[in-house]
Amino acid sequence: MSAPDQAANFIPAGLASLGIEADEVELAVISGAHQVFWPGIQQLLALDTRDVEPERNPDLSKAP
Amino acid sequence: MSALDLSLREQAAEIAAGDCDPADLLDETLARIEQRNPALNAVVETFPEHSREMLAAAPNGPLHGVPIVIKDEWPLPWRAQRFGAAELLEPTTPGESGPYRALRDAGAVIVGVGNMHELGAGSTGNVSVYGPARNPWNTERCPGGSSSGPASAVAGRLVAGAVGADGLGSIRFPAAYCGLTGLKPTFDRSAMDGHHMAPVTTLIVSGPLCADAADCRLLGSALHGEELAAGDASGLRIGVVRDVVSEDVTADVREACDAAIETLRAETGGEVQEISLPDLELSALAAILIINAESLNGTTPQQFNHLHPDISPLNRGVMKYRLLLPAAAIVQAQRVRTLMRRRLAALFEEVDVIAWPTIPAPAPPLESPVVEIPSGIHSADQANVRGAALANLTGIPAISAPVGFSGEGLPIALQLQAAWGRDELLLDAAEVLERGNERRWVESRPPLAEAEPTEV
Repeated sequence: MSAPDQAANFIPAGLASLGIEADEVELAVISGAHQVFWPGIQQLLALDTRDVEPERNPDLSKAP
Repeated sequence: MSALDLSLREQAAEIAAGDCDPADLLDETLARIEQRNPALNAVVETFPEHSREMLAAAPNGPLHGVPIVIKDEWPLPWRAQRFGAAELLEPTTPGESGPYRALRDAGAVIVGVGNMHELGAGSTGNVSVYGPARNPWNTERCPGGSSSGPASAVAGRLVAGAVGADGLGSIRFPAAYCGLTGLKPTFDRSAMDGHHMAPVTTLIVSGPLCADAADCRLLGSALHGEELAAGDASGLRIGVVRDVVSEDVTADVREACDAAIETLRAETGGEVQEISLPDLELSALAAILIINAESLNGTTPQQFNHLHPDISPLNRGVMKYRLLLPAAAIVQAQRVRTLMRRRLAALFEEVDVIAWPTIPAPAPPLESPVVEIPSGIHSADQANVRGAALANLTGIPAISAPVGFSGEGLPIALQLQAAWGRDELLLDAAEVLERGNERRWVESRPPLAEAEPTEV
């Protein structure tokens, strides 16, 4: 299934599961955003970070 | 020359010396806003009586009597913030915000509220409930976002300084598009209280937008609540990254930024080192995911079925899409944040600053905010965020300084990033850069902002 086809299923189903309504324009925007972000999200999810020790409660004003 | 056309520090000095009556300066500022703002839409509201009350009560602080514009992102005692939108999911109310108190305690006079990109969700400033702010260098071009109004107001010389906010580049983009200097402070170092995201954000900071680094130092000191003391940038070790942030840019941008880096090296007697910083594009996505998750901020899905009809369709869709972002990706984004923080901590043992262009291409048209760069035609938002988000993700400070003009006469800017807490070094380096290019970029003014006497 192509990415647009997947989005066509995922978006209405996801919104419906949360009880969120969206008109055609909003759905088009969401679909567009999904197409922009989803490849990167998949890449992010595939990144091997097992060696990255989590930073607990990081103080972002300072170096780790 | 009218005091209006002086720098922020000159205005403060003239008032302190008794050479400029701050009441006259306030009146002149209001008159100039009335005169120039119709072309810029930079200031969305003035409140002369409140401004006069601030002046009457102003302490003899470092900004005594100096008019300042503040972004529509914090409440004032007489006005709730609107965040550039018809409505926020949670109602906002008037009140004393951190930046308001910082300005008040420094003696400044808030003269108006600056326009902004709707909900802070854009790098261009072309979408706002007030209509878009316009770039003084070309009013058909984007002023940058989301601090569009503050930048347009300073570049149009309505005021000499303005307060913006930066969650994914929102001070640095408009500074770059409008030919200004903009400082994104180290996370949590500048006043943020009262911002509706303050309790949850790990990315957004307040910061100054001014013509040059010395003015940013003065206004930034007020926002930081401590003096950003001038130091010595000699022997500066400048790191450069050969990646999309420095290479997927227009020829004009690359040439101007390369020249600026060389000027900075020569003027500081420093050195340029090529450094490696992998996963920059993933770190930008990580920052986008985190800010979108944080923006949900306790809302319920049902609230998204009652969005104000005047919120742009783009933002209505984006707000709903946030609810579909996978939790696993948000968790992974935090891992990437840790990874990049550790990489940066190691790099800042080797270099003092990391330099690359603030924006890959100059300000695009308001009607079509896309940019053409070597990799193709992209939305300006997509192209811009790649170089800006790292500082927000990791908490480090960053500054955008003007370094030239494109063939179309639009500003080009260089971004410098430093280690946590080294905001002062960025200001020092930007000042050296200004001197090295004989201040030609920081003193350039768009034709509509040429110095002129203002009759009151």
